[in-house]
Amino acid sequence: MVQIRLQNIGTFSVGDIKMTDKVMKVKNGDTVGSVNDLLKELLKSKKVQALLVMQEVPSKAMSFPVLISDPDKLNSNAFVPALPVSTATIISQITKVESASKPIGVVMRSCQIRALVELVKLNQANIENIVIIGVDCLGTFPVNTYSDFPEKATPTKFILDSLKKKGDVVKYLRSACHTCKDPIPSNADIVIGLYGMNPQKELLIQINSEKGKKLLEGMQLEVSKDTKNREKAINEIREEKTKNRMEFIKDKSNIKGIDALAKFFDKCVNCHNCMKVCPICYCRECLFESSVFNLEANKYIGKAEKKGLFKMPNDSLLFHTTRMNHMVVSCVGCGLCEQACPSDIPLMEIIIPIGENVQKEFEYTPGSDMEEKVPMVIYKEDEYQEVGEK
Amino acid sequence: MVIKMEEFEPKIVGFLCNWCSYAGADLAGTSRIQYPPNIRVIKVMCSGSVDSVYIMRALLEGADGVFIGGCHPGDCHYLDGNYKARRKVVLMNSILETLGLEKERIWIRWVSASEGQKFADIMKEMTEEIKKLGPNPIAKHWNI
Repeated sequence: MVQIRLQNIGTFSVGDIKMTDKVMKVKNGDTVGSVNDLLKELLKSKKVQALLVMQEVPSKAMSFPVLISDPDKLNSNAFVPALPVSTATIISQITKVESASKPIGVVMRSCQIRALVELVKLNQANIENIVIIGVDCLGTFPVNTYSDFPEKATPTKFILDSLKKKGDVVKYLRSACHTCKDPIPSNADIVIGLYGMNPQKELLIQINSEKGKKLLEGMQLEVSKDTKNREKAINEIREEKTKNRMEFIKDKSNIKGIDALAKFFDKCVNCHNCMKVCPICYCRECLFESSVFNLEANKYIGKAEKKGLFKMPNDSLLFHTTRMNHMVVSCVGCGLCEQACPSDIPLMEIIIPIGENVQKEFEYTPGSDMEEKVPMVIYKEDEYQEVGEK
Repeated sequence: MVIKMEEFEPKIVGFLCNWCSYAGADLAGTSRIQYPPNIRVIKVMCSGSVDSVYIMRALLEGADGVFIGGCHPGDCHYLDGNYKARRKVVLMNSILETLGLEKERIWIRWVSASEGQKFADIMKEMTEEIKKLGPNPIAKHWNI
């Protein structure tokens, strides 16, 4: 039996405002273009001073987040199937020194919103003047093969194929996307929804907060009449992803013991890319990038003499196990670590099972609740007594 | 090479907090209470300050066990360091379990400054238990 955990869905309210689902009409069957027009309108009307959104670079080799203030230069694809860098990290970078005095709109997929929630809780980002525009995620392709996929040339077709599970699109998604914790954004001020909609005709616009309500004031939106389809589609995709994740965990449960573990990390070149791209690894200077573990030459020789030999650069397993200890409680499963690995080590095969295990232990769902504290800063006096005294 | 069990003397790295456990170990010494000399003591200001990296490093470098000694719950000099240390060990155990490494090699115990006897007893117990587990299997790997 596959155990399925689902988050609350349906109507809910924040403060005294009732949340309503609205719909936006799509022009000429161009889903991506219509969302782009909506965003353009937000910039033109100065509802947001700037936008952080995915836009293709001129070579068309990749899409990157751009911070854009000129509506005429906006040519975004909010649903682009690529995640080269963490948007949450970028918001941390933008707001860490001082938060913006005017609103910035950020278009984010669910894993990045989860990461941002974690960063806010870890005091690494300030969302005071950030308006989160969440978009339904259909999954992303690996960054180094992205330009090979013809699907990216016709963005709206990619959306339609993905929703209908047509063709090979799903097959090429990153393993992190295949096993996504929840492709529907939560904690966003507004959500632009694809699932359960006919994206060539209309898109769901869900307003979740006062900020979101203010953002869309004066926009031409209609009240959604029927949300049944949406609910059904959300449930389906969540069940599917959870099932995938459980199967993935079961499949990968053979990486156990020091021999298997040493073999798993054998190709690691100690580049620390996985740490650098991880939205949760936020230390300004990582211990492993410092000289803490640099020894005197004689100590290295002593180390060699103890075992006869040892691999250089050393400490790669120490790095990975320590990284896990530091970030796995808050791991949102975005899979950027795996994507950034030059040796193609399938890191998700280890991170997903461990994340699931640890988060279950602390009954913590990263990115779900802005108010809930991260497990490592809180405690209960009478917990885990079997660990301290047996 | 076959290591006979009776010849195996485990190496235990101990992180003892400045305010309670270190003083407890000190008392065991000054009171001339005998206990196995397998522990290598590192004094830390608080059990809560022992990051997982130091525990992992000890184990990966070949220590057979790691001992963390803190003040009794409620007695922490910094109010709640020992509770946080306990959570760190729970986190670490959970990770080691998933990886199939032996979590029984990490011990966290509460020893107050007046409990010299308790410190000696824990050292006896831990040394025995680690002897039963045998030498750390991680130590022989050179490619980690």
